[in-house]
Amino acid sequence: MSPMPQRSAKIAVPSNLYTAILAVAFGAVLATAAFVAIQCYSQYGTIFGMP
Amino acid sequence: MSTLTKVLIVLLTVFSIFLCGIVVTYVANATNQKERADKLDRDWRAARTAREAAQNDLAAAKDQADQMRRDIEAQMSGLKVTISDLEAKLASVQRENTQMAQRVRDMGASVQQANELQSSQMQLAQVAQQQVAALEADRTRLSKELAETDHALMEKMAIVAQLEEKTRQLIEANQDLEMRLSQYLRQYGKAAATPAPVTQRTGLVQPAAPVARDINLNARVTAVDIRNALAELSIGSAAGVRPDMRFHVTRDQQFVCDVRILEVGPDQSVGILERIQVPPRIGDAAATNL
Repeated sequence: MSPMPQRSAKIAVPSNLYTAILAVAFGAVLATAAFVAIQCYSQYGTIFGMP
Repeated sequence: MSTLTKVLIVLLTVFSIFLCGIVVTYVANATNQKERADKLDRDWRAARTAREAAQNDLAAAKDQADQMRRDIEAQMSGLKVTISDLEAKLASVQRENTQMAQRVRDMGASVQQANELQSSQMQLAQVAQQQVAALEADRTRLSKELAETDHALMEKMAIVAQLEEKTRQLIEANQDLEMRLSQYLRQYGKAAATPAPVTQRTGLVQPAAPVARDINLNARVTAVDIRNALAELSIGSAAGVRPDMRFHVTRDQQFVCDVRILEVGPDQSVGILERIQVPPRIGDAAATNL
């Protein structure tokens, strides 16, 4: 008879999950910045300057 | 990794996603300010152009209004002149009206006089018609008398025509007799006198005119041809000498001979010598009546 693993050990979340969450957040911010840049360029013809 | 860090990572992610959603929503729904500004600029330019056009129209309308005002003022001045003329004409027409009213009154009086005159003329016309009727009767009677007179006149004219024919025949016979008588008397130095009517107009008894009268022509012998018994006298047809006239040639109260005219020239005549007592000579006197 094989011994059962001990359930008493605490479940640990791998740190890659938080990295993915951070990547999602970064992707959202990046997408938002790109969208804003595209809108500015399409509407005003420039991204940072005054039309 | 600590728990606090994990919590901060999760919160950061959540708030990032939330903020990004708000930003995307805002940017997606934001108004295109450039397009709006362009539209406003175009509207502003159009409004300015419209304002300038309106100002020009206003100036033109003012000019037109001024021109119309000047025209109206000119028309008013002309109308004032016309009104003054019309007032003058009205005054003259009123004067004429007054004069015409006076004339009408005068004409009324004249018409009344004319009516009276017409009544008198009617009476005179009736009298004249009666006279015309009487004159018509007289005219009818005179017409009948005139017709009778015309008839009698036609008869008299027929008689006069017959008498004229007889008179013409008698004149022709008289002329023939006068010609024969003149030819007969010419050789005795006389000519037929103009016959005078036996019946004179005065009605007094007049002696009849002599049948013959003396010719009383005097001439000179201008040439003598004893051998042919011819002599030439100094007068001719211009003095009234005619063939067969007889001239008595005398010399100092002495009878020489007679000359009976054979040929007659304008201012000389030639005749044959008859009853020669002594030979005639040039210069002897010759006369138709002794």
